[in-house]
Amino acid sequence: MSRTLKLAALVGVITSLPITLSVAAAENLKVVASFSIIADFARNVGGDRVDIIALVGPNGDAHVYEPKPADAAAVGSADVVLVNGLQFEGFLQRLVEASATKAPIVELTKGGEVLRNTEEEHHHDHDNAAKGEEGHAAEAEEGHEEPHHHHGESDPHAWQSVHNAEVYVKNIANAFCAADAAGCDTYRANAESYGEQIEALEEEIKAAVAEIPEGKRTIITSHDAFGYFEHEYGIKFLAPEGISTESEASAADVAALIKQIRQDKASAIFVENVTNPRLIEQIASETGLKVGGELYSDALSGENGPAATYIEMMRHNITTIKGAILAS
Amino acid sequence: MSTNWASATAIALLLSLSTSAAHAEEVTAWRLFISDHADPKVTVIDAVNGGKLDTFQIKGPASLHRSESGRTVFAVQGSAGVVTGIASGISFEDHGEHGDIDVEAPKLADVEIAGEKPSHFVEHDGDFAVFFDGEGVARIISEKAVLEGKSDFREVKTDAPQHGVAVAYGSHVLLSEPHREKPDELPVGIRVADKAGMQVGGIHACPDLHGEASSGNILAFACAIGLLVVTQGDGTPAIRHLPYADSLSDGKTTTLIGGRGLQYLLGNYGADKVVLIDPTLESDAFRLISLPTRRVHFAVDPVRAKFAYVFTEDGQLHQLDVVKGEIANSLKLTDPYSMDGHWSDPRPRVAVAGDRIVVTDPLQGVLHLVDATSFEKTGDIAVEGKPFNIVSVGGSGQTHEGE
Ligand SMILES: [Zn+2]
Repeated sequence: MSRTLKLAALVGVITSLPITLSVAAAENLKVVASFSIIADFARNVGGDRVDIIALVGPNGDAHVYEPKPADAAAVGSADVVLVNGLQFEGFLQRLVEASATKAPIVELTKGGEVLRNTEEEHHHDHDNAAKGEEGHAAEAEEGHEEPHHHHGESDPHAWQSVHNAEVYVKNIANAFCAADAAGCDTYRANAESYGEQIEALEEEIKAAVAEIPEGKRTIITSHDAFGYFEHEYGIKFLAPEGISTESEASAADVAALIKQIRQDKASAIFVENVTNPRLIEQIASETGLKVGGELYSDALSGENGPAATYIEMMRHNITTIKGAILAS
Repeated sequence: MSTNWASATAIALLLSLSTSAAHAEEVTAWRLFISDHADPKVTVIDAVNGGKLDTFQIKGPASLHRSESGRTVFAVQGSAGVVTGIASGISFEDHGEHGDIDVEAPKLADVEIAGEKPSHFVEHDGDFAVFFDGEGVARIISEKAVLEGKSDFREVKTDAPQHGVAVAYGSHVLLSEPHREKPDELPVGIRVADKAGMQVGGIHACPDLHGEASSGNILAFACAIGLLVVTQGDGTPAIRHLPYADSLSDGKTTTLIGGRGLQYLLGNYGADKVVLIDPTLESDAFRLISLPTRRVHFAVDPVRAKFAYVFTEDGQLHQLDVVKGEIANSLKLTDPYSMDGHWSDPRPRVAVAGDRIVVTDPLQGVLHLVDATSFEKTGDIAVEGKPFNIVSVGGSGQTHEGE
């Protein structure tokens, strides 16, 4: 069904409404963030003027998250709802509908650089794919070229580019300013100082990548969460699962990846905090690669973990990647 | 491909806004499958125009179940000792950006599973498990086999006849454990069996086991001591006991249904209360909601995730807001149906078909139609006999000309 299209329309309508909420000075802005990384950005921008609830918590997988009635209640009473967009939150439309919220639903990837998923159609049911192709053939005869049936999905993991993270932060500051004009100067100042921190982070990442020999920059993770990291920083990521963890990798996908690993001479393999490590462990043992640690892809760690904030997460990831490759 | 039945009967609704608008149209089709309290038949009604599509003769009065996909409806005929598969005729194919709908005539699927006293019917991931109380045996069949007309089931045995339940859970089967001293009483726990039928781990205690439901990636059984909550573990199902909260009055859940769109479970709790459960929580998982009178039946709304519906013996349908945890609206639909008397006496049942809530009124021989948005009665459909159990199947999708 046209869930994705409806979602896009819904978000479009809501975000284009003039925001009429006004918040009493004494009361904090009630913010719902769809997942932990956005919650961290919001904390940095909002400081002590905002109360934040993250729907998908530390180490949670937003791709397959099932919203609860309590989440709908939180969204229903929120002043601002911050989401990633690009269909990262598959649960968003039903949650927003169930909540009957009047709060703006702010898509933080708006205005960022969005990558299309260029990956082959290897996750689809072959009967469906075949039928889809027939459909195309028929339409082509009628003079239609507009692609549908799964092609060119946007990659939602935009936060893996620090440059995009700056866009998230700007969008959050704008949303907070619109909902709480009195705090706007604070939000902008916070966003600016946090922006400087993550710009410095980006330099760190680039410097770390520069220390990795160019021939050793191909690595394996469990799902295609690092396309932006690859695009920005030049580490090549291969994964058995696609840009969503929703569909499991088929045996053929895994076999193809193993073949590719052998051809590309991948230097290291990593488990992710949001996915089951079993498949990666299996690929590691079949290819003789040693698991080089855990990368934080779609969620932060818990408070006491190594990736409790976005900055710690990015630093942990590149340090882990570099360490494993140089040790290989 | 099938002929385009839906548009041929002129229920095509909207032209799609996509670029292929000239070639694809949006079609809405909903069907009601209704069993009779006394007669061995299933009546199929077009919920969009109210017309009767077909009547299938079966072997005994049936309780009905629909598959997740909506492609199959099952008539479980306890007294006749058989389960009959019916192809609903409506199927969807997901193309990501849109879904295609295919509409054909409903028909008997040519699949029957026979055995003594079939009772609980559970689907998990496209596998159906029917429990035959009289034998203590579960028979498991895939939706694919049913639609191909193959009575291709496998059998899993428990130690004794019991009013039991089984769930085909990936490569494992969850089976109720009979009460050994008193075989007439409800099962006492859940046993996990692997592909070869070997028990994995110990028995998970669940005294007075009755009631099972799924919501999203969670499955639960109701017991006298709370719930058993099942999730996909590392290789084997992970089973956790969620005790009833101390704050609840004395009682237990014996019927469970699972939220769609929002993850929750809804159970009865005593005769005139229901309990909303967030099975992912360790504490504060239960919210008790009082009803004006005793509960007759309940159903979740698969479209408007925020609502479930409860029918009570005073003839009222209640709209339950599962987010707020309270009754939002009530609507008088039928004469009173007392819960005194036998549990299986003819009483109303509730189903949701798109934008309509449908309530059977067996003693009047009608279906009451309620608009799900306004929560007002919009009409009724007469059905011969005593319309009792009801399931609905349908939705909207595109059809493409030339396919
Ligand atoms: Zn992801």
